[in-house]
Amino acid sequence: MRYPKEVVLKEGREAVIRPLQRDDEEMLRRFYAGIPERDRWFMRHDVMDPAVIAKWMDDVDTNKVYAIIALAEGRIVGHASLHMREFGSTRHMGRFRLMVLPEFRYKRLGTWLLLDLIQLAMDKGLSEVRADFVVGIEDAAIEAANKFDFFEKAVLKDYVRDEQGNRRDLLIMIKRLHKSWGDF
Amino acid sequence: MNDISGAIIRQSAHGSVTIRSRCSPEEIRTFVFDSQFGTHAHYKSLYTRRESLENNAALPDADVTLALTDNDHIIGFGVLAYPEPGERWARLGPRLMMEVKAIEVSRNWRSAGVAGGILQTMMNRPMIEDKIIYMVGYSWTWDLDDTGRSTQAYRRMLIRLFEPCGFQEYQTNEPNICLKPENLLLGRIGRNVTKEQKDNFKWLRFDMFNTEE
Repeated sequence: MRYPKEVVLKEGREAVIRPLQRDDEEMLRRFYAGIPERDRWFMRHDVMDPAVIAKWMDDVDTNKVYAIIALAEGRIVGHASLHMREFGSTRHMGRFRLMVLPEFRYKRLGTWLLLDLIQLAMDKGLSEVRADFVVGIEDAAIEAANKFDFFEKAVLKDYVRDEQGNRRDLLIMIKRLHKSWGDF
Repeated sequence: MNDISGAIIRQSAHGSVTIRSRCSPEEIRTFVFDSQFGTHAHYKSLYTRRESLENNAALPDADVTLALTDNDHIIGFGVLAYPEPGERWARLGPRLMMEVKAIEVSRNWRSAGVAGGILQTMMNRPMIEDKIIYMVGYSWTWDLDDTGRSTQAYRRMLIRLFEPCGFQEYQTNEPNICLKPENLLLGRIGRNVTKEQKDNFKWLRFDMFNTEE
């Protein structure tokens, strides 16, 4: 796919989407430092641990993870990734992860990142993609996923706990990637 | 490939093909439209009647480029014209943006470089450098059945076809394009297009171009 991709967000702010590169490490650290602790809590890894970001950098240019970033005003304002398995029963399935800086939410940046990952997943020949969301926390992302025809696969009731110990639902959403059009 | 007085001649397994640009309605009327341009089980040609090409050829600045066999059969065509007044792409200003409305080659004559020749011929015109030329690819119009390609492979093929002529992919929030992730907008900005026009094209792609400004 061609990069960088220029997008215009709501209110006319501009951003550029491109793949994550090895020399983006420091900029990515600063990005996650700007993500509220409340959001970081629900991430799979502790992104404040330097080893986590360093590991992500090691994954750049591998066939397992494909990461993109959105840049605006000289900094990273969004980070999204497609995770793939090279072997086994779920190798047809990709998993998405996506994070956007609070001041860039509700401005369609997440939508553009999601669209780019969908196109990439199609390019990679995947037939389904999955994204997990915490209900009540990631509602903007759920709305964007709905617009891209993701559907609810399962809700794990009270599956996760927030930092205060309150239980929240985890929503698993799936999107099928069609290789051709139906005959209807 | 030879270039004889503005017409490109290509050799294919089925014989030679002459590609001629800016064909007039009268000229088009003298040619035979290949029967493959019609309705197939999973695909319908963009233009199924020769008259549609004639009508397009009569439009201002329009270019209907034809690929013709030795016996004057139309086996490929390209149509370049201004967008309809109600379309988003017409809002940038009069006669600034032009659309590659169609490039199609008869099923029997594909994979011989005919489509590339049609596009190359259409872009070989000084006026092109004053324009923003665009192409909208809707996956539901693609002949996936005959080509055996997936939508994504077909999309990549289109990009490969257009890139040598200076086109590149652009992001847009145009609702019809956004309907499917494999749909695409390709554009070519002419050398004489001003910075302001380029900027306006950017805002237009995201529906933020205000003509009253």
